[in-house]
Amino acid sequence: MASVARREPALRREGERELAEAARRGDRDAAETLLESHELLVFRTCGRLLPPGEDVEAAVQETLLRALRNLGRFSGQGSFAGWIAAIAVNLCRDRLRRKRLVPFLSLEARDENGTDPLAAVPSTEPNPERVAMARQAVSRLHGEVSRLPRRQQEVFALRFFAGLDLGDIATALGVDVGTVKTHLHRAVQRVRVVVEEARP
Amino acid sequence: MSIPHLNDDELNLAVLGEDLPPEVAGHLAVCLDCRRRRDAFLAIVEMARGADPDETTRERVREGALAAWGATSSRHWVRWLAAAAAVIVLSLLPLLRGRAPAPQIINADAVMVEVDQMLDRDPLSAVATEEIVDTVVPVSAESGERSVS
Repeated sequence: MASVARREPALRREGERELAEAARRGDRDAAETLLESHELLVFRTCGRLLPPGEDVEAAVQETLLRALRNLGRFSGQGSFAGWIAAIAVNLCRDRLRRKRLVPFLSLEARDENGTDPLAAVPSTEPNPERVAMARQAVSRLHGEVSRLPRRQQEVFALRFFAGLDLGDIATALGVDVGTVKTHLHRAVQRVRVVVEEARP
Repeated sequence: MSIPHLNDDELNLAVLGEDLPPEVAGHLAVCLDCRRRRDAFLAIVEMARGADPDETTRERVREGALAAWGATSSRHWVRWLAAAAAVIVLSLLPLLRGRAPAPQIINADAVMVEVDQMLDRDPLSAVATEEIVDTVVPVSAESGERSVS
Protein backbone atom coordinates (compact mmCIF):
# COMPACT_ATOMS: atom_id res chain seq x y z
CA MET A 1 0.00 0.00 0.00
CA ALA A 2 1.44 3.33 -0.98
CA SER A 3 1.96 5.89 1.72
CA VAL A 4 -0.58 8.69 1.63
CA ALA A 5 2.19 11.23 1.96
CA ARG A 6 4.18 9.60 -0.81
CA ARG A 7 1.27 10.09 -3.18
CA GLU A 8 2.12 13.78 -3.15
CA PRO A 9 5.55 13.89 -4.76
CA ALA A 10 5.63 17.69 -4.61
CA LEU A 11 5.55 17.56 -0.85
CA ARG A 12 8.99 16.34 0.07
CA ARG A 13 10.62 17.17 3.35
CA GLU A 14 12.08 20.47 2.22
CA GLY A 15 8.82 21.53 0.66
CA GLU A 16 6.92 20.52 3.78
CA ARG A 17 9.25 22.53 5.96
CA GLU A 18 8.87 25.61 3.78
CA LEU A 19 5.11 25.25 3.65
CA ALA A 20 4.93 24.81 7.42
CA GLU A 21 7.07 27.91 7.92
CA ALA A 22 4.95 29.95 5.53
CA ALA A 23 1.76 28.75 7.21
CA ARG A 24 3.19 29.59 10.62
CA ARG A 25 3.65 33.16 9.39
CA GLY A 26 -0.04 33.22 8.47
CA ASP A 27 0.01 32.14 4.83
CA ARG A 28 -3.43 30.58 4.44
CA ASP A 29 -2.67 29.00 1.05
CA ALA A 30 0.36 27.21 2.49
CA ALA A 31 -1.72 25.98 5.40
CA GLU A 32 -4.44 24.75 3.08
CA THR A 33 -1.93 22.88 0.91
CA LEU A 34 -0.48 21.17 3.95
CA LEU A 35 -3.89 20.11 5.21
CA GLU A 36 -5.10 18.98 1.82
CA SER A 37 -2.09 16.72 1.45
CA HIS A 38 -2.47 15.06 4.83
CA GLU A 39 -6.15 15.15 5.75
CA LEU A 40 -6.85 11.72 4.26
CA LEU A 41 -4.19 10.23 6.49
CA VAL A 42 -5.85 11.88 9.48
CA PHE A 43 -9.30 10.68 8.42
CA ARG A 44 -8.03 7.11 8.12
CA THR A 45 -6.19 7.26 11.42
CA CYS A 46 -9.04 8.74 13.45
CA GLY A 47 -11.60 6.64 11.61
CA ARG A 48 -9.85 3.46 12.64
CA LEU A 49 -8.67 4.36 16.13
CA LEU A 50 -11.95 5.77 17.41
CA PRO A 51 -14.84 3.49 18.31
CA PRO A 52 -18.25 3.67 16.66
CA GLY A 53 -20.32 6.58 17.85
CA GLU A 54 -17.36 8.91 18.06
CA ASP A 55 -17.54 11.93 15.80
CA VAL A 56 -14.69 11.20 13.41
CA GLU A 57 -15.10 14.45 11.48
CA ALA A 58 -14.83 16.48 14.68
CA ALA A 59 -11.73 14.53 15.66
CA VAL A 60 -10.16 15.13 12.26
CA GLN A 61 -10.96 18.84 12.38
CA GLU A 62 -9.52 19.12 15.87
CA THR A 63 -6.37 17.30 14.73
CA LEU A 64 -5.94 19.66 11.78
CA LEU A 65 -6.50 22.68 14.00
CA ARG A 66 -3.99 21.46 16.59
CA ALA A 67 -1.49 20.94 13.80
CA LEU A 68 -1.98 24.50 12.53
CA ARG A 69 -1.71 26.00 16.01
CA ASN A 70 1.47 24.08 16.74
CA LEU A 71 3.27 24.53 13.44
CA GLY A 72 6.11 26.17 15.30
CA ARG A 73 6.85 22.82 16.93
CA PHE A 74 7.29 21.05 13.60
CA SER A 75 11.05 20.85 13.30
CA GLY A 76 11.13 19.32 9.84
CA GLN A 77 13.46 16.57 11.07
CA GLY A 78 10.84 13.95 10.36
CA SER A 79 8.02 13.95 7.85
CA PHE A 80 4.92 16.08 8.28
CA ALA A 81 2.87 12.89 7.88
CA GLY A 82 4.48 11.31 10.94
CA TRP A 83 4.14 14.55 12.90
CA ILE A 84 0.45 15.06 12.16
CA ALA A 85 -0.25 11.34 12.69
CA ALA A 86 1.22 11.74 16.18
CA ILE A 87 -1.29 14.52 16.87
CA ALA A 88 -4.12 12.34 15.59
CA VAL A 89 -3.05 9.33 17.67
CA ASN A 90 -2.73 11.45 20.83
CA LEU A 91 -6.12 13.04 20.25
CA CYS A 92 -7.72 9.61 19.81
CA ARG A 93 -6.01 8.34 22.95
CA ASP A 94 -7.31 11.38 24.88
CA ARG A 95 -10.86 10.79 23.72
CA LEU A 96 -10.71 7.11 24.54
CA ARG A 97 -9.19 7.81 27.93
CA ARG A 98 -11.86 10.37 28.70
CA LYS A 99 -14.55 7.83 27.93
CA ARG A 100 -12.58 5.01 29.53
CA LEU A 101 -12.78 3.02 26.34
CA VAL A 102 -10.22 0.26 26.00
CA PRO A 103 -10.70 -1.19 22.53
CA PHE A 104 -9.39 1.01 19.76
CA LEU A 105 -10.78 -0.66 16.71
CA SER A 106 -14.40 -1.42 16.33
CA LEU A 107 -15.59 -4.98 16.48
CA GLU A 108 -17.93 -3.88 13.78
CA ALA A 109 -16.60 -2.85 10.46
CA ARG A 110 -17.46 0.68 9.38
CA ASP A 111 -16.08 3.46 7.31
CA GLU A 112 -15.80 7.21 7.85
CA ASN A 113 -19.42 7.73 6.94
CA GLY A 114 -20.54 5.25 9.55
CA THR A 115 -21.66 2.77 6.95
CA ASP A 116 -20.70 -0.86 6.82
CA PRO A 117 -17.74 -1.29 4.44
CA LEU A 118 -18.63 -4.94 4.13
CA ALA A 119 -21.50 -3.72 2.04
CA ALA A 120 -18.85 -2.66 -0.45
CA VAL A 121 -17.99 -6.29 -1.04
CA PRO A 122 -20.14 -7.08 -4.05
CA SER A 123 -22.98 -9.38 -3.17
CA THR A 124 -24.06 -10.01 -6.72
CA GLU A 125 -20.91 -11.83 -7.80
CA PRO A 126 -21.36 -15.11 -9.63
CA ASN A 127 -20.06 -16.94 -6.57
CA PRO A 128 -21.97 -15.71 -3.52
CA GLU A 129 -20.21 -18.24 -1.32
CA ARG A 130 -16.84 -16.63 -1.99
CA VAL A 131 -18.31 -13.21 -1.36
CA ALA A 132 -19.70 -14.37 1.95
CA MET A 133 -16.29 -15.75 2.89
CA ALA A 134 -14.62 -12.46 1.99
CA ARG A 135 -17.10 -10.58 4.15
CA GLN A 136 -16.45 -13.00 6.96
CA ALA A 137 -12.69 -12.52 6.56
CA VAL A 138 -13.07 -8.75 6.82
CA SER A 139 -15.22 -9.13 9.89
CA ARG A 140 -12.68 -11.47 11.47
CA LEU A 141 -9.90 -9.03 10.71
CA HIS A 142 -11.71 -6.22 12.51
CA GLY A 143 -12.48 -8.49 15.42
CA GLU A 144 -8.92 -9.72 15.79
CA VAL A 145 -7.39 -6.26 15.44
CA SER A 146 -9.69 -4.98 18.17
CA ARG A 147 -8.35 -7.66 20.49
CA LEU A 148 -4.69 -6.76 19.89
CA PRO A 149 -2.76 -4.90 22.58
CA ARG A 150 -3.16 -1.14 22.17
CA ARG A 151 0.27 -0.48 20.69
CA GLN A 152 -0.13 -3.29 18.17
CA GLN A 153 -3.52 -1.89 17.18
CA GLU A 154 -1.94 1.51 16.60
CA VAL A 155 0.90 0.24 14.42
CA PHE A 156 -1.48 -1.98 12.45
CA ALA A 157 -3.91 0.88 11.84
CA LEU A 158 -1.18 3.35 10.91
CA ARG A 159 0.49 0.86 8.57
CA PHE A 160 -2.44 -0.76 6.83
CA PHE A 161 -5.26 1.75 7.14
CA ALA A 162 -3.42 5.09 7.18
CA GLY A 163 -0.67 3.82 4.89
CA LEU A 164 2.31 5.20 6.80
CA ASP A 165 5.76 3.75 6.37
CA LEU A 166 7.75 2.41 9.31
CA GLY A 167 9.68 5.63 9.86
CA ASP A 168 6.54 7.73 9.97
CA ILE A 169 4.87 5.29 12.35
CA ALA A 170 7.91 5.51 14.61
CA THR A 171 7.62 9.31 14.56
CA ALA A 172 3.90 9.17 15.21
CA LEU A 173 4.23 6.88 18.21
CA GLY A 174 7.48 8.29 19.55
CA VAL A 175 9.33 4.96 19.35
CA ASP A 176 12.17 3.61 17.23
CA VAL A 177 11.67 1.74 13.98
CA GLY A 178 12.78 -1.55 15.56
CA THR A 179 9.96 -1.32 18.08
CA VAL A 180 7.48 -0.59 15.31
CA LYS A 181 8.68 -3.67 13.39
CA THR A 182 8.34 -5.89 16.44
CA HIS A 183 4.76 -4.76 17.14
CA LEU A 184 3.83 -4.94 13.48
CA HIS A 185 5.14 -8.48 13.00
CA ARG A 186 3.29 -9.70 16.08
CA ALA A 187 0.09 -7.99 14.96
CA VAL A 188 0.31 -9.29 11.40
CA GLN A 189 1.01 -12.81 12.60
CA ARG A 190 -2.10 -12.87 14.79
CA VAL A 191 -4.39 -11.19 12.31
CA ARG A 192 -3.17 -13.09 9.26
CA VAL A 193 -3.75 -16.47 10.84
CA VAL A 194 -7.32 -15.56 11.78
CA VAL A 195 -8.05 -14.08 8.36
CA GLU A 196 -6.61 -17.09 6.52
CA GLU A 197 -9.02 -19.36 8.34
CA ALA A 198 -11.90 -17.47 6.79
CA ARG A 199 -10.56 -16.38 3.44
CA PRO A 200 -12.01 -17.73 0.23
CA MET B 1 16.32 -28.30 -5.89
CA SER B 2 12.83 -27.25 -4.73
CA ILE B 3 12.45 -24.45 -2.19
CA PRO B 4 9.72 -24.92 0.44
CA HIS B 5 6.79 -22.54 0.70
CA LEU B 6 7.20 -19.39 2.76
CA ASN B 7 6.95 -19.92 6.50
CA ASP B 8 4.98 -17.56 8.78
CA ASP B 9 7.83 -15.12 9.37
CA GLU B 10 8.67 -14.94 5.68
CA LEU B 11 5.03 -14.47 4.76
CA ASN B 12 4.72 -11.66 7.31
CA LEU B 13 7.75 -9.98 5.75
CA ALA B 14 6.18 -10.38 2.31
CA VAL B 15 2.90 -8.88 3.56
CA LEU B 16 4.76 -5.92 5.00
CA GLY B 17 6.72 -5.44 1.80
CA GLU B 18 10.05 -5.90 3.51
CA ASP B 19 13.16 -7.35 1.94
CA LEU B 20 13.25 -11.13 1.70
CA PRO B 21 16.31 -13.37 1.44
CA PRO B 22 17.09 -13.92 -2.26
CA GLU B 23 16.05 -17.57 -2.32
CA VAL B 24 12.75 -16.77 -0.59
CA ALA B 25 12.09 -13.86 -2.96
CA GLY B 26 12.88 -16.22 -5.84
CA HIS B 27 10.38 -18.75 -4.58
CA LEU B 28 7.70 -16.10 -4.11
CA ALA B 29 8.22 -14.95 -7.68
CA VAL B 30 7.32 -18.38 -9.06
CA CYS B 31 5.00 -19.88 -6.43
CA LEU B 32 1.35 -19.13 -7.10
CA ASP B 33 0.22 -20.48 -3.72
CA CYS B 34 2.51 -18.20 -1.70
CA ARG B 35 1.61 -15.18 -3.80
CA ARG B 36 -2.09 -15.95 -3.34
CA ARG B 37 -1.68 -16.11 0.44
CA ARG B 38 0.09 -12.75 0.50
CA ASP B 39 -2.26 -11.05 -1.96
CA ALA B 40 -5.40 -12.43 -0.32
CA PHE B 41 -4.43 -11.00 3.04
CA LEU B 42 -3.64 -7.61 1.53
CA ALA B 43 -6.95 -7.63 -0.34
CA ILE B 44 -8.87 -8.33 2.87
CA VAL B 45 -6.99 -5.50 4.61
CA GLU B 46 -7.86 -3.18 1.75
CA MET B 47 -11.53 -4.08 2.06
CA ALA B 48 -11.38 -3.62 5.82
CA ARG B 49 -9.96 -0.13 5.39
CA GLY B 50 -13.33 1.02 4.09
CA ALA B 51 -14.18 3.98 1.93
CA ASP B 52 -12.44 7.32 2.23
CA PRO B 53 -14.55 10.42 2.87
CA ASP B 54 -15.79 12.22 -0.22
CA GLU B 55 -14.31 15.49 -1.37
CA THR B 56 -17.20 17.53 0.04
CA THR B 57 -16.65 16.14 3.52
CA ARG B 58 -12.90 16.65 3.30
CA GLU B 59 -13.33 20.23 2.17
CA ARG B 60 -15.86 21.02 4.90
CA VAL B 61 -13.60 19.67 7.63
CA ARG B 62 -10.53 21.39 6.20
CA GLU B 63 -12.30 24.73 5.87
CA GLY B 64 -13.59 24.42 9.41
CA ALA B 65 -10.09 23.95 10.73
CA LEU B 66 -8.73 26.82 8.66
CA ALA B 67 -11.53 29.13 9.78
CA ALA B 68 -10.96 28.32 13.45
CA TRP B 69 -7.23 28.82 12.97
CA GLY B 70 -7.79 32.16 11.23
CA ALA B 71 -10.06 33.34 14.01
CA THR B 72 -7.47 32.39 16.58
CA SER B 73 -4.77 34.21 14.65
CA SER B 74 -6.93 37.34 14.45
CA ARG B 75 -7.62 37.23 18.16
CA HIS B 76 -3.91 36.94 18.74
CA TRP B 77 -3.37 40.09 16.66
CA VAL B 78 -6.02 41.98 18.56
CA ARG B 79 -4.49 40.96 21.87
CA TRP B 80 -1.02 42.00 20.76
CA LEU B 81 -2.37 45.28 19.41
CA ALA B 82 -4.19 46.05 22.68
CA ALA B 83 -1.08 45.19 24.69
CA ALA B 84 1.10 47.40 22.49
CA ALA B 85 -1.35 50.29 22.80
CA ALA B 86 -1.40 49.95 26.57
CA VAL B 87 2.38 49.98 26.73
CA ILE B 88 2.55 53.11 24.56
CA VAL B 89 -0.04 54.95 26.64
CA LEU B 90 1.67 54.03 29.89
CA SER B 91 5.06 55.13 28.58
CA LEU B 92 3.65 58.48 27.38
CA LEU B 93 1.72 59.20 30.56
CA PRO B 94 4.61 60.92 32.44
CA LEU B 95 5.27 63.15 29.43
CA LEU B 96 1.62 64.17 29.22
CA ARG B 97 1.60 64.97 32.92
CA GLY B 98 4.72 67.15 32.54
CA ARG B 99 2.98 69.37 29.99
CA ALA B 100 -0.17 69.91 32.03
CA PRO B 101 -0.46 73.29 33.90
CA ALA B 102 0.94 73.10 37.38
CA PRO B 103 -1.69 73.18 40.07
CA GLN B 104 -1.98 76.52 41.88
CA ILE B 105 -0.75 76.30 45.41
CA ILE B 106 -2.99 78.20 47.84
CA ASN B 107 -1.38 79.95 50.76
CA ALA B 108 -3.95 79.53 53.51
CA ASP B 109 -2.28 82.11 55.77
CA ALA B 110 -2.37 84.82 53.09
CA VAL B 111 -6.02 84.11 52.42
CA MET B 112 -6.84 84.41 56.11
CA VAL B 113 -5.00 87.71 56.36
CA GLU B 114 -6.94 89.06 53.39
CA VAL B 115 -10.25 87.95 54.92
CA ASP B 116 -9.40 89.56 58.24
CA GLN B 117 -8.54 92.84 56.53
CA MET B 118 -11.83 92.78 54.63
CA LEU B 119 -13.81 92.16 57.79
CA ASP B 120 -12.01 94.99 59.53
CA ARG B 121 -12.90 97.40 56.77
CA ASP B 122 -16.57 96.44 56.43
CA PRO B 123 -18.00 93.30 58.00
CA LEU B 124 -21.05 93.34 55.74
CA SER B 125 -19.10 93.50 52.55
CA ALA B 126 -17.55 90.22 53.49
CA VAL B 127 -20.91 88.44 53.16
CA ALA B 128 -22.69 90.52 50.50
CA THR B 129 -21.98 92.69 47.52
CA GLU B 130 -21.77 96.40 47.93
CA GLU B 131 -25.01 96.97 45.98
CA ILE B 132 -26.96 94.70 48.32
CA VAL B 133 -25.42 96.34 51.36
CA ASP B 134 -26.35 99.81 50.05
CA THR B 135 -29.93 98.67 49.48
CA VAL B 136 -30.35 97.11 52.86
CA VAL B 137 -28.40 99.77 54.75
CA PRO B 138 -28.55 103.09 52.85
CA VAL B 139 -25.71 105.45 53.39
CA SER B 140 -26.78 108.60 55.28
CA ALA B 141 -26.19 111.73 53.21
CA GLU B 142 -25.23 113.82 56.22
CA SER B 143 -23.11 111.57 58.19
CA GLY B 144 -21.85 109.58 55.34
CA GLU B 145 -22.16 106.51 57.62
CA ARG B 146 -24.30 103.48 57.40
CA SER B 147 -26.92 103.19 60.05
CA VAL B 148 -29.04 100.36 61.23
CA SER B 149 -32.50 101.29 62.34
